[in-house]
Amino acid sequence: MSGPLPANDRQPLMKKAFASLPWTRPRGGERPHVIYLAIGFPPAAKSCAYRMRETANQFCALGWDVTVITICDEAWEREYGLDHTLSESVDPRVNVVKLPLIRQDLETDIRAFSESRALNPGGWISELRKREQKVFPEPVFGGWRFALEKAIVKVHRDHPADLLVTSCAPYVNLAATWKLWEEHKVPYVIDFRDGWSVDVIGGGEAFARESVSGRWESRVLEQAIAVWCVNDPIAGFYRDRYPHLADRVHVVRNGYDEDSLPAISGRAPDPAAGLTFGYLGSVNFPPDFLDAVLTGWRIARAEDPLLARSRFEVRGHIGAGPMREANRHMDLLKAAAPDNVTFGGPVPKSSLAATYGSWDALVLMLVGGRFVTSGKVYEFMATGLPIVSAHDVDHDASNVLAGHPLWTGAVGLEPQRLALSFIEAGRMAVKATEADRAEARTLARRFARPAVLAPAVRHLAELVRPGTGTPGAAVQPATASTGDSRP
Amino acid sequence: MTNVLIVASVPPPQPAILTDALERFKAKGASVSVACFANVEDMSVDPALAEVRGFAVAPEAITGRLRDALRRAPQNRRMWLHARRDGWLRRRAAEADVLVALDARAVHTVWELAQRNTRASACHGLVPALKEFDARRTPTPGTVLERQVAATASIGARGARRLAVRAAKTTLKKATGQKVVANPAGAWLWTRAVSAPRIPDGLRSRLTLRVYGSAVRAGRPATAARASAAAIGRIKDPQTRADLLTKQAQTELGLGRVPAGLHDAITAQLDLADLRLRKRDPKKAAFALSNAFSLASNRVLHFDRLSSPLTDDPAGYLAPFRDSVAAKKLAEPRGRATPAAPIPTDRPMRLLLTTLINDNFLREIRERYEAMPNVEVRFLDLDDDPAGRVLARSGSSVFEHILSGRSAYGDKIEQWLRPHLDWADTVFIDWCQATAALFTLHDPGTARIIVRLHSFEAFNFWPHLVDFSRVDDVVFVSDHLRDLSTAVLPQLTGEAAPRLWVVDNAMDLQRYPRPKPAEARFNLGLVGVGSVAKDPRWAIEVLRRLRRHDERYQLLLIGSDLNARTSAAAKQYANQLQRDLDELEPSGAVQRRGQTDDVPGALTEVGVILSSSVRESFHCGLVEGAASGAVPIVRDWPFFAGKPHGARTLFPADWVVADPDEAAERILAATATEESWRETGRAASEHALKTWDWSITQHDFDRLLLDGPA
Repeated sequence: MSGPLPANDRQPLMKKAFASLPWTRPRGGERPHVIYLAIGFPPAAKSCAYRMRETANQFCALGWDVTVITICDEAWEREYGLDHTLSESVDPRVNVVKLPLIRQDLETDIRAFSESRALNPGGWISELRKREQKVFPEPVFGGWRFALEKAIVKVHRDHPADLLVTSCAPYVNLAATWKLWEEHKVPYVIDFRDGWSVDVIGGGEAFARESVSGRWESRVLEQAIAVWCVNDPIAGFYRDRYPHLADRVHVVRNGYDEDSLPAISGRAPDPAAGLTFGYLGSVNFPPDFLDAVLTGWRIARAEDPLLARSRFEVRGHIGAGPMREANRHMDLLKAAAPDNVTFGGPVPKSSLAATYGSWDALVLMLVGGRFVTSGKVYEFMATGLPIVSAHDVDHDASNVLAGHPLWTGAVGLEPQRLALSFIEAGRMAVKATEADRAEARTLARRFARPAVLAPAVRHLAELVRPGTGTPGAAVQPATASTGDSRP
Repeated sequence: MTNVLIVASVPPPQPAILTDALERFKAKGASVSVACFANVEDMSVDPALAEVRGFAVAPEAITGRLRDALRRAPQNRRMWLHARRDGWLRRRAAEADVLVALDARAVHTVWELAQRNTRASACHGLVPALKEFDARRTPTPGTVLERQVAATASIGARGARRLAVRAAKTTLKKATGQKVVANPAGAWLWTRAVSAPRIPDGLRSRLTLRVYGSAVRAGRPATAARASAAAIGRIKDPQTRADLLTKQAQTELGLGRVPAGLHDAITAQLDLADLRLRKRDPKKAAFALSNAFSLASNRVLHFDRLSSPLTDDPAGYLAPFRDSVAAKKLAEPRGRATPAAPIPTDRPMRLLLTTLINDNFLREIRERYEAMPNVEVRFLDLDDDPAGRVLARSGSSVFEHILSGRSAYGDKIEQWLRPHLDWADTVFIDWCQATAALFTLHDPGTARIIVRLHSFEAFNFWPHLVDFSRVDDVVFVSDHLRDLSTAVLPQLTGEAAPRLWVVDNAMDLQRYPRPKPAEARFNLGLVGVGSVAKDPRWAIEVLRRLRRHDERYQLLLIGSDLNARTSAAAKQYANQLQRDLDELEPSGAVQRRGQTDDVPGALTEVGVILSSSVRESFHCGLVEGAASGAVPIVRDWPFFAGKPHGARTLFPADWVVADPDEAAERILAATATEESWRETGRAASEHALKTWDWSITQHDFDRLLLDGPA
């Protein structure tokens, strides 16, 4: 691994100085080229796929050649599954390189097991984790390091890149990023999304700067031309942790996709038949969390006749590998069947609008606190449906939803209080007018994915290849809250 | 019809999910069988959905051969050894198109079944099995043939390999057994074998350990030492060297002996810790350091024998720790930002009494201060918090936190204990163990921290994890424990050290004086015989001498029997004691009274109360006996005899004796007549009540707790 840049390369990262830095000089060729290291790119049925798709499309729209590096479809089949409808709206000019990297720990075909793995599946996975972390300090994905490094260097040799955009997680992507920097000095941006050294669930630091992970993070961030995070608290954490990089840390929020939204007009909840509450997303929170929400729902049904007639539909992924749909969460959902709770599995992207369209109110279940902004909060907001918040009061989702006319407010996870929120959302669903829904959607409009990502991508394009952003647009860092250019 | 066989080790924790899957299989037209290894009666499966059977071989049907095979087999293979003997399961497996392991333990059995049914798919988990069922295509004859050949070859090869490995292991085991190693030729051969060149460190280490263990068990410590020294000289890797020395020491400790190589093992672990620390690997450094402390504080060395290398020579015993960089880092003062605040005058003082599990010595203190209007008391047992309980018992995490400077573990402790520190003006921590280490892991703010050290902690590693620069006062229950503790912990002396107090245990002795019958004069009593340190055999020696003069003398043992399960050393002592009891119990010379909640009642029968211990911090049982009016006879506790403080400075001179002869003489004199016995007992009772009753000693606690920081 190389040391720091020579002194003449360590210039202040002022915006005008970018163009003069050697690593921001164009690499030649008519069309600029970006390598986008985006594990989770469509057709992976992952929530990050939307952000990745939009990022790639935005670069294409600016006239860049885009090469996405992700992993093969079979890998996603084992994990979150595939949604090929997501790929339909990927710009056809995007070149996707799929690496044959598969999580071995999620293998469920016993014929593929060695005898030692069959004898001790848990121990075999523990040993695998240790081996992975020796390669790179990240369990599960650390072992992918060398394959990613090799692939990224090959892509660059075949088609020299002007910019590398690395989306984390997995964080092993940082190793490949560093490799390309070390060998070819390709400037790079880290789309950190939820960050690495920040503990977004518990708050505070996930690991010390002196740890192996900490040394990797600081080394790679040191040379990044920009670092993206999904919300202000995470960006603040990084600005505090690396004060000299503060100018390079930008908030680029997640957003929602217009084609996921149901029609606003024509909705007519039928109080006599009951309402349908819905949750859409991965069920990856602790079982106790789900239990609290289901208990709140049960209490609400006992106290409110409208809710007693209503149903609660949970859609999304539960568990992976051998534990897919076979864990405590499923048990809780099945036990709640007498309360009209159903689980309907994942929803393909193409059916999102119809699914939201069949619901009367949404239940926003989110773990973590002020450092967490799940992408689904924007989508939920833009549906124009009433929202029951099941998350900490001090959660970044509360900041996003503030002002939403059909939001019951964050009350924490106490079932009795959640029950009141359910009842309130039911009342809102019945009374809401089209104007209320339209107002909610208008409030969300600033979080439409293009509105968030277009200026951020333009900013990068201008940094690396001045003149390749939208003609006439000035190079401005993204603002702290939306990703829009500063006025 | 497609056949599905589901194998489970136990009934699933989520039965509804299994039922749901069975319904889905049925809807797809499958015929499903479920085979469960354990608790098959708990499988609540509708017979219309699947046929359910258990396949464990009944205990009475387990043959010697199967028992041997089960003993040798890895855990998950044992299930397969049962499964292969079940005809129903074999038939269902042979017919199956899809084999499913419901849980991780069942994977190996399904793996073996799949080796024998090469047409079937084999999945782990129900949803993957349902997907496989939907996507299933009959494998081509070529694939089946290929699988068949591979499986047959694999089954044969694995069988042959297993036999070969077993034969080699048995041969090696016999060749390195006690008989061979005890033979001079065998000892010569193996000493050379373990030091032969070009043997990998790991293999050399395992072989040496085997030879060492056999030699020690065969009573050939010199052979063991020679083999060890020869091998250690060849091992280059410091980790392997330290591990070998440690395992050798543990082997001897396991046999109840003081290891010959204890010092070397401790030094090797400390060197390793220093090396890891230099390489900036605090986690591994903490592990090695914790190994060193675990060895040094092993109970065989200090508690289950009649002497301790620590009390014999504290400085010499702990010298390797004094020289270790890592161990010194543990003792480095991290200090506090602000000193403890004065006791508030505008509101009640907030006193937090805290411990981990044992609150036996807090009752009187708690009651006194809870009754005071100017004190607000809270009690915290760290063991009461289910989440915190795990944290409180993780000594290795504390080592790691201190060496790292920061850790996620430390953050959790901060989050857990900070509200208590913020609330309290004074924190009184009973027992200088985990509680004290955790409360000083972070700056305690303005709370005053008081730690009380009783006795066993001085031999343990926990006090070495306490940051005494964050402790204001340390309380001992006797001078000799203070002397020992300051010798063990240099942090307790010097300018920046906390204030040291000696405050007697809180004891309500008024309950003990009760009339004694005349025949109690010949009854010796010993309260508490549960540990080797109480040395009841010394009391039996006293009894033997007395009975030579007068057979009316008896010994009453009050309390639970000696716990022999703690170590081989304790077991050895317990065996010797049992031989004494076998001789003396039938005649009634020794009587075991067992555990009682009414100690004052039990003491009415006792005319002479003994303290036969090798080590005590105070010995409440003796003092309670003295308060009851029994004549006290205290052995000059050997751990402290001849030192500036001990039994002779704690008790009146005429209570303490040097040996069983002197004890017998003293007892014979004191019990010569009923009058002299009663008069001696009355004087002892008066002294005990005047000196140690809570009505007297509570004022010392008031000075400690209410007078505030000096």
